[in-house]
Amino acid sequence: MKPEKRLIPATSTLWREIKRHRAIYLLLLIPMVYFIVFKYIPIWNGQIAFKKFMPRQGVVGSPWIGFANFSEFFNSFYFWELLRNTLMYSVGKLLISVPLSIILAINLYECRLPFLRKTVQTLTYLPHFLSWVIMYGILLVLLAPGDGLINDIIKFFGGRGIDFLTNVRTFPWVVLFSDAWKEMGWGAIIFIAALMGVDPTLFEAAMVEGANSWQRVRYITMPSIQPVIILVVLLRLGKILSVGFNQMYMLYSPSVYSVGDIIDTWVFRGLQEGKFALATAVGLFKGVMGLVLVIISNRMAKRISGSSLY
Amino acid sequence: MKVKTSPIRLTASDRLFYSLINIFLVMLFFVIAVPLWSTVTLSFRPNDFIGTNFEGMFLAPWKWSNAAYKALLGNNGFIIAFANSLKIIFFGVATALFFTIPLAYSLSIKTLPGRAVLVIIILIPHMFDVGIIPSFLMVKNLGLIDKLAAVFLPTAVSTYNVLIMKGFFEGIPVELKESARIDGASELYLLMRIIIPLSKPIILTIGLFYGVTFWNDFFHPMLYLNSNHLMPLPILLRNILIASGMNEFVEVNAFGEAPVQSIKAASVFLAAIPMIIAYPFIQKYFSKGTLLGSIKG
Repeated sequence: MKPEKRLIPATSTLWREIKRHRAIYLLLLIPMVYFIVFKYIPIWNGQIAFKKFMPRQGVVGSPWIGFANFSEFFNSFYFWELLRNTLMYSVGKLLISVPLSIILAINLYECRLPFLRKTVQTLTYLPHFLSWVIMYGILLVLLAPGDGLINDIIKFFGGRGIDFLTNVRTFPWVVLFSDAWKEMGWGAIIFIAALMGVDPTLFEAAMVEGANSWQRVRYITMPSIQPVIILVVLLRLGKILSVGFNQMYMLYSPSVYSVGDIIDTWVFRGLQEGKFALATAVGLFKGVMGLVLVIISNRMAKRISGSSLY
Repeated sequence: MKVKTSPIRLTASDRLFYSLINIFLVMLFFVIAVPLWSTVTLSFRPNDFIGTNFEGMFLAPWKWSNAAYKALLGNNGFIIAFANSLKIIFFGVATALFFTIPLAYSLSIKTLPGRAVLVIIILIPHMFDVGIIPSFLMVKNLGLIDKLAAVFLPTAVSTYNVLIMKGFFEGIPVELKESARIDGASELYLLMRIIIPLSKPIILTIGLFYGVTFWNDFFHPMLYLNSNHLMPLPILLRNILIASGMNEFVEVNAFGEAPVQSIKAASVFLAAIPMIIAYPFIQKYFSKGTLLGSIKG
């Protein structure tokens, strides 16, 4: 009899709670319709990855063909190229941008000239808010083969001008360093926040004990932001298959497809060329891999630092 | 940042440490500033300027020419594109906040029955990205192709922004809500009269985040818009930048006498101006709450 006794008041409080919040459910109605139409119908449409898509017959009417689209993708020559490029850029960006952000954060934190600190801080955040179209315009000013600033400098020292954006050897570096230039300041914010959370008495104690500035950075600053560093690296590893469509689409051109084509740009060109089912299969492959990676990296982040995204 | 009071005199190695930091930051200043400055000076370059871009950076301001800006602002296509971008940012931010505020507020009510289901409904599409083509088919089936709504509706809700706003709502003292409830206020009244007025800073910040995204977006306009008269600024900017002679997308003499390179640089600068204006406001609200959200976004 005991459970029944508990059950009746429980349901009635639940009902009361639901009634009390009925305005909230009403408020959620339109956002939920939005989610169904704009977020869940696309997931439903994802089934064309397993179909031979015929626009006239629509998503549901097209015939099923199993994993044919996937095997076509996995067996094609571009599969390895896309995967290699995608991983190359995400690992490259991780290796360049994260250390630069950490160095910048420590420098800003340690800087004793408030004017210099504020100026550099403001200036380094700014490019994050510029789009890649604008970035492309700025890069043209710097890198144009005829009269770009960098080619001016190369020519001044007697070198020959390089067309950085169409050369397969220079293109990856342009991608990696333009990303670092744009995002370094934004990436530093999280580390600065972590540094501000460090107990100042630790620094005072170290000073009293006679530690110099270098030792302070080495033995107090670095260890205390280490969990945040691990967290940032893990979260980025979870998104390793998304390397920035906008950047690549703006910067690349057919002459550098071999080193510039990533999964996202390939899917987009697939859409333009009308290869709907095949490109959806590629996108779905990325989506599933991305989901697995995000879940793994979040689990690890939770275990290591006790905080995670979800 | 922290204020350091050092009772201990700096040693030689400390002085080296701080000098290196200052040198690093000054160098970084130039690394960021020079590309920006060279773009700005290029946009003001007079037609009769002879010299390299490097020399152009040191051209005295009184010798600058505003021909490129005159040409752009006097061009119909540019004005239309600018107006389209304003439309997208206005309706986009309004729609985004209309969805984001109720979602964030509902998630912030710990006692809301079905809250866990709501979390799952929101997180699944966020974590499982099926790619662009299924979305494209959805937009096409809705008949939104070549309509401005196609540009901002599919991206109107950012899960990160919902979570940031939810965090802010959770920080509002529960006692405040409870006392209003005891006075007989409905949940809706509570949201409209207490929560939203208290949350103006976060709503402004999130609105700015959305605004930046909509202003900068060229992917969705490129995907969904075909008509020239609907093109927003990023698309026009891209067309201007990739046109080698200025005549592929834009009529030959549309931009008058200004040099092509200056037109390109000036259009870059004009497209960046709204961001530069909004930037101090965004920066003002880099509080710790939004900070933690920022890396995740």
